[in-house]
Amino acid sequence: MYREQGGYAQLERAFKELTPKDVADICMGSNLRGRGGAGFPTGRKWSFLPNNGHPRYLVCNCDEAEPGTFKDHMLLEQTPHAIIEGILIGAYAVGCHHAFIYIRGEFKAGFAIFRAAVEAARAAGYVGKNLFGTGFDLELTVHRGAGAYICGEETGLLNSLEGKRGEPRLKPPFPAVKGLYGEPTVVNNVETLAYLPHILRNGAEWFAKVGPERSPGYKVVSISGHVKNPGNYEVPLGTTIRQLIWDCAGGLRDGRTLLGVQPGGGSSACLFEEHLDLPYDFESISKAGSMLGSGAMVVFDDTTNFVKAAHALIRFYAHESCGQCTPCREGGNWLEKTLVRILEGRGLHSDVDMLVSASHQLTGLNLCPLGDSIEPFLASVVKRFEAQFRAYIREPKAAPVAV
Amino acid sequence: MAHGPAATALAAADWDPYIAREGNFFDALFRRLRPECDALIAQYEESRSALLPMAHLFQEHEGYLSQNAIVAIAFLLGLTPAVVESTVSFYTLFFRKPVGKYMLSVCRNLSCIINGAEEIMTYFRDSLGIGHLETTADGVFSYEEAECLAACDQAPCMQVNLEFVYKLTKPDIDAMLAAMRAGTYAVAPLVQTAPPERTWKVAQDTGRKSAGGRGVTDPNNAGGIGDKSGVIMLDRLMADPAFAARSRERVLHEKNLGPTNGDAGH
Repeated sequence: MYREQGGYAQLERAFKELTPKDVADICMGSNLRGRGGAGFPTGRKWSFLPNNGHPRYLVCNCDEAEPGTFKDHMLLEQTPHAIIEGILIGAYAVGCHHAFIYIRGEFKAGFAIFRAAVEAARAAGYVGKNLFGTGFDLELTVHRGAGAYICGEETGLLNSLEGKRGEPRLKPPFPAVKGLYGEPTVVNNVETLAYLPHILRNGAEWFAKVGPERSPGYKVVSISGHVKNPGNYEVPLGTTIRQLIWDCAGGLRDGRTLLGVQPGGGSSACLFEEHLDLPYDFESISKAGSMLGSGAMVVFDDTTNFVKAAHALIRFYAHESCGQCTPCREGGNWLEKTLVRILEGRGLHSDVDMLVSASHQLTGLNLCPLGDSIEPFLASVVKRFEAQFRAYIREPKAAPVAV
Repeated sequence: MAHGPAATALAAADWDPYIAREGNFFDALFRRLRPECDALIAQYEESRSALLPMAHLFQEHEGYLSQNAIVAIAFLLGLTPAVVESTVSFYTLFFRKPVGKYMLSVCRNLSCIINGAEEIMTYFRDSLGIGHLETTADGVFSYEEAECLAACDQAPCMQVNLEFVYKLTKPDIDAMLAAMRAGTYAVAPLVQTAPPERTWKVAQDTGRKSAGGRGVTDPNNAGGIGDKSGVIMLDRLMADPAFAARSRERVLHEKNLGPTNGDAGH
């Protein structure tokens, strides 16, 4: 079925007509940026691999667990062959003979679907030894995680793939130099790799011309929250947030007004009405003080209780902290405890002030971005909707002290 | 292929972790799964990578990851059981004690919370009479509140034995629980080889990957310097008739606030 629609044709073309360097150049020329969250240019990531004769590995990251993101889940279950083709093209481009895909443990059905698809691809001669008679061997191993958000961080993922606790490693050395089994490794997101066949078919120009110059191409945006038609929408980057909410997702529920939008998954700061006409691309969103991340948009209307929303996210980060770095391990837990206290009516006015000040003590002090992800949403909504937080506090406001 | 040293040196017949046990369930299971384990190990350049896949395999057949399975994995990979245990304890999908036939994991993250997950969770707790990370006395249901399950467009959502259930409503839940009790539910129940206890948490385990925030033992300073909320909370507890005859220390201990709530194992 996938083959009838032109699937695997680009893989065959890559192997027969293009050199690995050609494929890498096309990817570099398309300026495809990583779709997993960090937005790092894929072609440049590949170019960091040292030429030291060591075996190289390509790992496809399908450990999707960012709150609000559900694109990889859909791709995995509905277009497994596009992912396989992307992995194989990527592996050819970087000269890797053993590629891995790390699938989130909760995607049990997706794992079974994907494994069956790999077997079908193997039977069709796309995976295995001496592909297309070129002498290029390529093995693809499907690996299933077991419930840990932190394994979506690339070095945490590699540790988990090596059968260890999924604790992120100190960087540098980056995975491109010392990754899986200590060898040069590339870790790419599912969506990034799934774009490769399309880029090869239509050329680097086609992709690079779409959307803004510095973050070109298409992107799957997962829209959820208080909209009429939540779901995954593939749009050119640079589409405005307003278009995404009203044209794609059908707008807010009737009679409601918008209070905020979280533009890039649980780790991003909340944006508000005044940001609605921002183009949805990596640069514009980060200029507005948030980030595009994995492309997960959560929309909040005026029924939202931001104390509960913030608590749900903080609880998540406290739960998922691997515990290596003190600011993240302790900070997340204390922020959660403080929010519980506020929600239970035991909070103090100083707690609300602390929520803002504590957040400055978390960012940039951790091995991996999880610790940095705890505060942005909380800080942005406390600043904007302070009244909602104060409303929970029963302690009388202290009388001003005469000086 | 770099197999663990033990895996190549010993044959299946040698499986004898501590004592020979005639007719033991796990020994028979191990012999049956041995070829599959070897195939998993052969997939990777380094044998230890097969740790998670093997743990999934044993859990699938035993319903939980028994101490036997941990020792067996250690044996196959040439590791110590402590190393295997420390690894699997990092991952929430491995149950180190028996669980119910249906593992109900309700999403409690952002998109579900703003779409009514709280009501759904309360309804589950009330219908089942149990809380987070607990199993009903009849051993049929285990309930947990899980983090984002990546189905935010279908909020509120949950997983039953890792199969998705979307757009939950209270009538759906009633029908689901009735079908599970009657044994007619569409998702196959988990294997149950041992009766579950009230919880599948291991003692002292918070169910978290780390034990953050539990090292601070002084409730007077719970939220940082100058924070008096711990004292306020304790005073309120002491005033509660339920705690009337108890000392302050005892109350602290029972409410998990005191230094006796040790952090062993972390």
